[in-house]
Amino acid sequence: MTLLIGSLQLGLLYSVMVLGIYISFRILNIPDLTAEGSFTFGLAVSAVCTVSGHPFLGIPGAIVAGGLAGGFTGILQTRLRIHPVLTGILTMSGLYSINMLVLGGTPNLALIGKDTLFSLAVAAGGGMDKEVVRLALSLAAAGICTVLLALFFHTQLGLCIRATGDNPDMVRASSINVDRMKIISLAISNSLIALCGGLIAQYQSFADINSGVGILVVGLASVIIGEAIFGRRSVTIGLVSAIFGSVIYRYIIAAATRADWFPAYMLKLVSALIVTLALAIPAIRQMLEVQRIRRAGKGGN
Amino acid sequence: MAYMLEIQSANKCFGRGTVNEHTALENLNLSLEQGEFVTVLGSNGAGKSTLFNAICGNFLLDSGHIFLDGTDITFMPEYKRSLKIGRLFQDPMKGTAPSLTIEENLALAYSKQKKRSFSLALARKDRDFFRQELEQFGMDLENRMKTRVGLLSGGQRQVVTLLMSTLVPPKLLLLDEHTAALDPATAEKVMEITRQIVERFQITTMMITHNMKQALETGTRTIMLDSGGILLDMDREMRKDLTVERLLDMYSEKKKAEFCNDRILLA
Repeated sequence: MTLLIGSLQLGLLYSVMVLGIYISFRILNIPDLTAEGSFTFGLAVSAVCTVSGHPFLGIPGAIVAGGLAGGFTGILQTRLRIHPVLTGILTMSGLYSINMLVLGGTPNLALIGKDTLFSLAVAAGGGMDKEVVRLALSLAAAGICTVLLALFFHTQLGLCIRATGDNPDMVRASSINVDRMKIISLAISNSLIALCGGLIAQYQSFADINSGVGILVVGLASVIIGEAIFGRRSVTIGLVSAIFGSVIYRYIIAAATRADWFPAYMLKLVSALIVTLALAIPAIRQMLEVQRIRRAGKGGN
Repeated sequence: MAYMLEIQSANKCFGRGTVNEHTALENLNLSLEQGEFVTVLGSNGAGKSTLFNAICGNFLLDSGHIFLDGTDITFMPEYKRSLKIGRLFQDPMKGTAPSLTIEENLALAYSKQKKRSFSLALARKDRDFFRQELEQFGMDLENRMKTRVGLLSGGQRQVVTLLMSTLVPPKLLLLDEHTAALDPATAEKVMEITRQIVERFQITTMMITHNMKQALETGTRTIMLDSGGILLDMDREMRKDLTVERLLDMYSEKKKAEFCNDRILLA
């Protein structure tokens, strides 16, 4: 039971990050590696705020931190015309130093005994079950982000951003500054990822400099799992499917770690394989189709 | 009399100083009055698309000036010019966002005039307006407003693009062989809709075409470009009794004359 509810909490919390990845990967069509750095950036800022007794401040702090990181990547991509994948890597490695700086030069920081959003909520919940309160808080975080984003992508600005990933020429022809749209959307994407880091820091009462490693693949895997269930349809469904994808991903991990024969360190490999396979499906399908036609053609002669 | 579009001695050379040096525009002058519909002819590489690119701001001129409705737009960035200039390409995929619905595409184009904000992109009033505009084309698009544009045929996409670039009537409409990729029947239909829209808003228009007959029959004026300059410029009066054969004769006469001049120069 604890494992079931724990995975649900984690799945919902991480879904905030998955929403961010969904924006860069699916809406903007850019694989944004900034995620690895901005997740830890949010985590570090939130942890430091919490340690100094301001857990509430940690949340907007994380959002702003992520926004700055994403905006920086955006500027590298647009104004300085550096390759999108490389810009993410540059920001990410630069952030490693900054994250260490934020954490005060130590690779990890424990928040044990400090008030966090989660401990405060449990205290405020009175007699309610601790895990239920933590679940409610995770659900609220995921729910609020999804609703806000779904609304945002139906505003004029949101429409411009969606079109930017789709057909930049057309966006330019509609008198929209494409560069600005890219910068804004990368800032939004990374502020969600950093927000997720900020929540995770307070959830697990622990911050580690390496928390962000592999987070992009986790996000991509979740997005892809979600799409496998819901298909690729409207943005709103896309956002909801990202949430479901994240939760299911956590359950797959939980199931895997429970199995005795499966060492936990293999998880990253499995995630990478899931993503590889999902991205390769169109190509594999085409190969099979070509082979089928060939065989049919030979049979006819 | 102020012109709607005025291009003054435009020059553009690509790859200057390299083996690929190519003079795309050479001392080109052109003035269009409000409401003129100019068809643009010229062989491949004559500078037709380059001229459009220069007007739209894909690149900046080496020298010369471009005025639109009295404003100097020579150094204005591309996205700002597109507020006043509508443009259609040969490729129907270029003008629309495939994963957005018809109404979302239209809403995006319609929001050109406003400052983009956090207000909802599609108000009921806008939807009704789009439906009404789509209805007049008789292509049943008004009943498919929630269809993603990627699912439409080339002709349908081109009609949507045409509507998008004229929802807020632009000061100048540039049509770059916008019917060339369509089948003859659809091309005729799209051409008809184009005439209708241009007529209705009296938009100053330039249309590139390779069809000389169409060029002479459409609009109010025809120009022929050659190696980055204007070779022939024919107004309504001059075009009146012009046939395609006669036009071709005029073209070779002009070319020959130019060739002689060159020979004299070299001799």
